[in-house]
Amino acid sequence: MTVDQLINWLPFGTDWPVITFLTAVIICALPVFLFIAVYALVAIYGEVKISSFMADKVGPMGQGVGFHAGKWGLLQPVADALKLILKEDIIPAAADKKLFIMAPFVVFIGAFISFAALPFGQNTIIADMNIGIFYILAVGSLSVIGIILAGWSSNNKWSLYGGMRSVAQIVSYEIPAGLSIISIIMLTGTLSMQGINEFQQGTIWGILPNWIIFNNPFSFIAFFIFFISGVAECNRTPFDIPEAESELVAGAFTEYSGMRYAFFFLSEYAEMFVVSGVSVTAFLGGWNSPISGFFNSPGWGVFWFMGKTLSLVFVMIWFRWTFPRLRVDQLMSICWKVFLPFSLLNIFGVGIWILITG
Amino acid sequence: MSEDQDKFIADVVEKALQGDMDAINNIEDRVTRSKAKAALVKAKREAKAAATEDTSKSEESKTEESAPVVKSLSEKVAACLNEKFPNSLESEDVNGYIQMKDKNWFEIAQYLRYNLDFLFDSLQCVTGYDFGENEDLEVRYNLHSMTHNHAIEIRIKTDRNNPKVPSVEQVWRIGDWFERETYDMYGIEFEGHSNMTRILCPEDWAGWPLRKDYETQESYHGIVVPKVKDGWE
Amino acid sequence: MGVVHGDLMTLNIGPQHPSTHGVLRLKVKTDGEIISEVEPIIGYLHRCFEKHCENVSYEQVIPYTDRCDYIAAMNNNFGYAVTVEELMEIKVPERVEYIRVIVAELNRIASHLLALGAYGLDVGAFTPFLYMFRDRERILDLFETLCGARLLYNYIWVGGVSHDLPPGFIDAVYSFLDYFEPKIEEYNELLTYNKIFIERTGDVGVMPPEVAVSYGVTGPNLRGSGVKWDIRKNEPYSIYDKFDFDIPVGAGKMGTVGDCWDRYYVRMVEMKESVKITRQALKGIPTGDVHQALPKKIRPPQGSIYKRTESPRGDLAYYIVSDGSPIPYRLKMRSPAFTALSVLGEISQGWMMSDVLVILGSLDIVLGEIDR
Repeated sequence: MTVDQLINWLPFGTDWPVITFLTAVIICALPVFLFIAVYALVAIYGEVKISSFMADKVGPMGQGVGFHAGKWGLLQPVADALKLILKEDIIPAAADKKLFIMAPFVVFIGAFISFAALPFGQNTIIADMNIGIFYILAVGSLSVIGIILAGWSSNNKWSLYGGMRSVAQIVSYEIPAGLSIISIIMLTGTLSMQGINEFQQGTIWGILPNWIIFNNPFSFIAFFIFFISGVAECNRTPFDIPEAESELVAGAFTEYSGMRYAFFFLSEYAEMFVVSGVSVTAFLGGWNSPISGFFNSPGWGVFWFMGKTLSLVFVMIWFRWTFPRLRVDQLMSICWKVFLPFSLLNIFGVGIWILITG
Repeated sequence: MSEDQDKFIADVVEKALQGDMDAINNIEDRVTRSKAKAALVKAKREAKAAATEDTSKSEESKTEESAPVVKSLSEKVAACLNEKFPNSLESEDVNGYIQMKDKNWFEIAQYLRYNLDFLFDSLQCVTGYDFGENEDLEVRYNLHSMTHNHAIEIRIKTDRNNPKVPSVEQVWRIGDWFERETYDMYGIEFEGHSNMTRILCPEDWAGWPLRKDYETQESYHGIVVPKVKDGWE
Repeated sequence: MGVVHGDLMTLNIGPQHPSTHGVLRLKVKTDGEIISEVEPIIGYLHRCFEKHCENVSYEQVIPYTDRCDYIAAMNNNFGYAVTVEELMEIKVPERVEYIRVIVAELNRIASHLLALGAYGLDVGAFTPFLYMFRDRERILDLFETLCGARLLYNYIWVGGVSHDLPPGFIDAVYSFLDYFEPKIEEYNELLTYNKIFIERTGDVGVMPPEVAVSYGVTGPNLRGSGVKWDIRKNEPYSIYDKFDFDIPVGAGKMGTVGDCWDRYYVRMVEMKESVKITRQALKGIPTGDVHQALPKKIRPPQGSIYKRTESPRGDLAYYIVSDGSPIPYRLKMRSPAFTALSVLGEISQGWMMSDVLVILGSLDIVLGEIDR
């Protein structure tokens, strides 16, 4: 269901364009918001449990009768969320109040509106823009403004450090990410998310699914560059230097508490989903089934998309609990000295590939 | 009974002094055993006090440094210093440690640090010491050589009312913190130290805590210090 | 790096900070991310250990030594007991010596596990920390059966140990060692040879041997700089001369000799050596009494002594002056972490923000011992 169809379907029609527009926006935004909230709870629970199993412990467990974390600690994320909502909201006296209050929302909005162009299934997309992938890259980097606002307005040296590092990191990693997407666009000839998905239908030589990652060796490399840059943009370990709890306490978020902190948290998880979703769409066939023609109905498309995306989210969690953290200069040198030249080469490579294979 | 016991203990101690410690360790009764032990320690101390006429000298017990080979090291160092820096030693009598005047200490330290025969490249410890109220303070340096694996102890007395000792911060870098700690605890000023400030106590702490005549402040920044009861034992 | 410097920013790392390993404050002058000066400010945990000691009897000092280096309390007890015994010129029964060596080496493993785990945390790796704590827990459980305490044992007394080994203890230690030895390889795979970890620690915070000696740095930190120096070998105390073990030294495998990785790796190998010593001690342990007969009130003869022992952090020395009374006239503790921290300012100059904490972690300091 796309927004265009919704607007056409609404009874107000073109007589009251404003009301039509607002209704359509609310109808789309509410489920997305609910989805993010539920997904974040699941992801937090998953992260806690996965990390526990990786570290040879059991994680939250409910035991016996009474008000506890539920079976297998299933209610733990709910309790966490409740705690964050009920916590006192502290604004430091020396903080720049307006910016301080604004920052978490700016960060969240960046992640939130990215969902508009994510193709969950053949028909399940809010707006199939003709510049979908470009749109996601553009609004995805909005969050950097929020983080620097948070870092600056907290009036705390640690926050400032975190904010500055974060900006440097996200802006740098946008470039290899964008360049590896360019090679996709060259291949598919479209910027639309659905267009990219449709390109990936069918099989290669009848065996492999016709996903872009298998299409040519260059896009195989491009996938890794894009995904790792995506991890860096989410500020996840091993690229979590903006938060770096052992160095910067909590980086840009040091002074935040309660609901505002929860928003940063929420947007981090939302951003993980967006990055994974874009990787899946651009490289791993999106809503296409791994076996061509097998359970490839629109309904199953949502399943495939979610399955692939959550697997990538799992990989990110896996990273976090396995790797140490990089240093800020090492992070930059990986970006500028390794990823950037390789993604430029990739573009050439893909160009030549297209020329040869026609 | 008690006389018997005393005799028995005396017997056992005699044996123990000759090296048969089992005689004591085999005593079944705990009380008797500990009495015998105490008697042994006493006997040993007396024997030792008798051996050294000057009681002040008995202060130095047998440490590793005073083992025959190393003991001669202290003497060697003392002799060498006497030659190189005349008048720098308080007494030429070396008894496991070298008692030195504070004059020339920096030069001597440099000499000890870089002289190839001694090469005391490691300053192990700096200990402040208070002989008691109204008496002198002392700084004790434990030097050690990583190359030769030998060690000496050097002691420098200083006046209680104006305690000043040359700093060896520039010779051994660890001297920096050790001297600051000694200053913090005893108020001994190390001349030539680059940053002679308190290190463990807060900067505005009053008094020198480890001096024997130290009295606790009554209050510190409005916090009343609780009185310490006498006789903790 | 150019010579242009703007104004330096002063940043206080600590006293409340996740990775200062206690209440330590680092006054750091930074130029952006580059550190130009680090000044450790200590004393937040100062509890007048030495003053206390001048007011309590010799036996009562032991619980205080626990609280100095609370990570390796056994080794602190051990050092103190050995010093007082030497001052009193008494020899303890052989069984006591063996028990002491066993618990001291187990405590060394526990201490190194904490050091390495917390180091992983400093570098940002969370999981190794939990793995190492899992295994450290087993040692603490062993100590709990031994003396009832998990952290501050008050176990090694002058002239003996507080309790004999409980039944089954030796088998339990054997089974722990069998369990533990393969785990070291697991840590190596997970953290030691991780590329990112090597990038973060190799070549970082190099401490040349001359600097280390001049700053009085001892223990694994000194050995990490390639100096083969271990009190257990060079000046054997207790019965360490009976055991066969190696002294691991840093070799610059992942960079320069004396970098953070070397200091880290020396500890890793040292755990293996401790396992070796413990096995030998378990094999040779004789039966007998665990208390040397001593008077109720210890009165060492007049005199002074400076005695060094090897704690997990280096040369732990006690300087004790006795005036013949049951109370020490002067007791000075030369703590290895104190000297190790003093070198931080020297070796962390010019590194980046994140490196300072990595270097600090590699020195493995315990603030309880520094501030005393």
